[in-house]
Amino acid sequence: MNELEQIGLATMRDCWITGGASFDLAPAAWREIGGGSDADEKERRLLAIAAQALEIALRPAAPSTLKRRPPLPKLAFPMLPDRLRPLARAALKQAADTRGKARVVTLVASRGLVLHPMDWMPSASDQDSPDVYAPWVDWQAGVEGQSHISQDRLAAQNWDDFYPAARRTALAEMRRREPASARRLIEAKGSDEPAEIRLALIQLMHFGLGPDDVPFLKGLAADRSGKVRELAGRLLARLGQHGLPGEAGGEDPVTELAAFISAGKSGFIRRRTTYTPVKPKSPAQDRRRAELFGTCNLVDLAVRFGVGETEFIAGWQFGADSNADISFARMVAASGSDAAVKHMADTLVAEGGRPALFVLHLMPRLDIRRKQALIRLILKDVTYLASLNLLEAAEAGWVEWGDVGQVLQALRSAVGGSDDGAKRTAHNLLEMLGFLATSATATRLIDEMVAAGMPPAAPSLGLLRLNAALGEYQSESRK
Amino acid sequence: MEFDLKTIEALAPDQASLSAASKLTKRSNWPRLEKNEALALMWGECQGSGSNPYRVVVDTGDHGYKCTCPSRKFPCKHSLALMWIAATVPTSFTPADSTPEWVNDWLGRRRKTTPPPTQPASGAGGKSIGEAARSDESTEVEDAAAVERRESAQRKRAEETRSSVSAALDEMDQWISDQLRLGLAGFVENSSDRCRRIAARLVDMKATALAGRIDEIPSRLMSLRKEERPDAAIRELGKLVVLAKAWRAAPDDPELKRLVSTSETRDQVLASPHAVQVESTWEVLGEKIETRRDGLVSHSTWLLDLRSAAPRFALLLDYFPASAGRRSNAFTPGDRFDARLIFYPSRQPLRALVMDRRGDVSSGEWPAVASSEPDPLTTHLACQDAAPWLTDCPVMLPQGAILLDDRGAPWWQAAGDPNGIALPINEAVSPTLLGIDLAATAALWNGSRLDLLAAQSNFGRLDLS
Repeated sequence: MNELEQIGLATMRDCWITGGASFDLAPAAWREIGGGSDADEKERRLLAIAAQALEIALRPAAPSTLKRRPPLPKLAFPMLPDRLRPLARAALKQAADTRGKARVVTLVASRGLVLHPMDWMPSASDQDSPDVYAPWVDWQAGVEGQSHISQDRLAAQNWDDFYPAARRTALAEMRRREPASARRLIEAKGSDEPAEIRLALIQLMHFGLGPDDVPFLKGLAADRSGKVRELAGRLLARLGQHGLPGEAGGEDPVTELAAFISAGKSGFIRRRTTYTPVKPKSPAQDRRRAELFGTCNLVDLAVRFGVGETEFIAGWQFGADSNADISFARMVAASGSDAAVKHMADTLVAEGGRPALFVLHLMPRLDIRRKQALIRLILKDVTYLASLNLLEAAEAGWVEWGDVGQVLQALRSAVGGSDDGAKRTAHNLLEMLGFLATSATATRLIDEMVAAGMPPAAPSLGLLRLNAALGEYQSESRK
Repeated sequence: MEFDLKTIEALAPDQASLSAASKLTKRSNWPRLEKNEALALMWGECQGSGSNPYRVVVDTGDHGYKCTCPSRKFPCKHSLALMWIAATVPTSFTPADSTPEWVNDWLGRRRKTTPPPTQPASGAGGKSIGEAARSDESTEVEDAAAVERRESAQRKRAEETRSSVSAALDEMDQWISDQLRLGLAGFVENSSDRCRRIAARLVDMKATALAGRIDEIPSRLMSLRKEERPDAAIRELGKLVVLAKAWRAAPDDPELKRLVSTSETRDQVLASPHAVQVESTWEVLGEKIETRRDGLVSHSTWLLDLRSAAPRFALLLDYFPASAGRRSNAFTPGDRFDARLIFYPSRQPLRALVMDRRGDVSSGEWPAVASSEPDPLTTHLACQDAAPWLTDCPVMLPQGAILLDDRGAPWWQAAGDPNGIALPINEAVSPTLLGIDLAATAALWNGSRLDLLAAQSNFGRLDLS
């Protein structure tokens, strides 16, 4: 289309928009084609020519400011093979919430593979997905054009070369191996970061937390952020240090919390002290007690009763008040020393029964052996199977066939029965087992459930199917 | 296989279903018949009157069934036909170790609330499988006079339809002139009402396909930004003018007839000497399912020929009533299979039917895209030269990426050419796609926007439809 035609087309277009005959405005060559007919026919012919000109000769004008995102980085693990992607997508679809999806992601990563980015992507604020996804977290956070993904060792000099998630992963790794170096780095660079990032950095101190960290953590008492000060206090409490001085004014929260707990004695021969939660008089009191458990540290509470952490835990009367037990378990998880956490886990798991379930709140603080002991304990008692849904921070792919023997009968009867509630529980449990089981166990479980009457493609078998298929894929790859 | 004819007779909703099912028991209607005795399942794909095959699965244990056809009869004729074949020629079913994904989907969703297997009832409510089979076998022999009368009536009907359509096009031409006189600004504002009225007139005058197309103009205009709508209106109305002129010049042209009045039947396409047949390996690029204003749902399945050196596409297009509810998809994007396709006669053969499907294949590369081609819409231009009345054209775009403009709207742009041509995309894209380099992208171009179907990338094949 030449310039005259373009001008003619623009004039005709304006004329048609407002309404009217455009024949006299058309380029001469077009008038020639359209001529020799009645007025309406002339306009229609011009319309046909204009339509074709717009279709062929003109394109939507691209803005000059089109923005290109940086390329999505390749991850350190290979991508899940195409044939397994439908299984992963089905498992992700079946996962009811973020925790469920995180289980799928963790299971796949535990086999040395990553999901396809069009099937799943971590969010920009994700801190729970496996470390291998850190480059994608940074890509999502959109810190484009500022840094490159560094393969170097993190140091003060190259601090800014690392995206936040990659830096977090590198620091966590450094805290595990050389806690002092990592602490010095956090101390040197953390103070320049905004409160949100500072908090995330201080959270990393829980890896390899030790007495050497005390001066630095005490120094955070003057931090600008209340959340950072609170976290530092928790970490100090884990190290047996008494809490940082509270805010001025008001009753001391530890004293207030202690008033909700009554100390007593039990036993005839070996008298021992017991600590029993006082029944709250109102829902408001119950809420206040929960708040206080959330802000006070175990070591301070124990000292308030004149004992150490482990003695206080040993004297705590689990079972007297379920809400208080949960709050107490959370307090131990947040501020108890490693010894206190281990003591509580070992004691309750050894005793078994319902109180052992409170150890679920300690999961992020437990080592693999203790986590597995707790899960095996739960799998042995069909009464508590539903509590597996609360499981956090567990490792994927270790439950053997011998471990599920106890629950198999319960699963079979729930799947084959007509009780909808029991079926729902069984389906949830199968999803959790899909995460926890080894591939061989997953394969056998699928066979057992199908034999018990479950459709082979039941959505709740999704994670088990993925688990089993991952096992097959790994054995094929090894050949 | 636990089927006998009495059971099928008892399951059938009426005699008509049995009669219809008997016509589908020919092996040639079923490109795929498989069974898994351990799971008590049999399934198949029945080539019905539509472009996409219907997928049928039957549980031989409890006589549960599922078919992807839109029939409101349960079981439908396809399910009954599958059972019928199982009862009479069980060897037609190939044993399969595993079940396809669509069968698994059905198994996963279904609740086994049905009572135990239907027992053959005496009498079966006046339905007779014997009668159905006989009616299939008996072919009435018409005498010569009757044939002459029938053909004469057909000719008369065709003549009436032609003159009615001709009058419809006259009316449409007048309507277009009115829109130009009144102003396209007003047309764009009131396109919904104005198009509805003329579409209703065109339906009355037997220009059904054209009516459906005009009915969709408002939604096509509204999908664009306000400032783009007048140009789009010029294109839409101008193409209608061209189509009307082309039809008047060749009213018997099958392509033009299809676009103006009605489409050929499957049998007519199969019998057409002008229909091109292509035997190849095809990949399902993607599907588009759209509910139209006339109450029909259009179901488009786009295929790519993996053996063709230059990109060659095929479209399997079906319509079914929206009231029939959501229909299961016949294919999954990414499926690859060997098949012979027959294309509806056309200047740019695109719409096709599956004649003969041989089986699934797993490998196959996309044809290479010429990245030296300066204009990624060259195929679209060729398509417009041959058939300027067409709106959507499939294109294979070379290496590129998806970028965002200031308003956050996505654009496709060729790689290594930041100031080069960029094409706007119809809908929001996954944010992840913005970081992926696309080696080749299959899409539909409608003159204003791209509808993405699928792409090859450094992260493998991407489903984008």
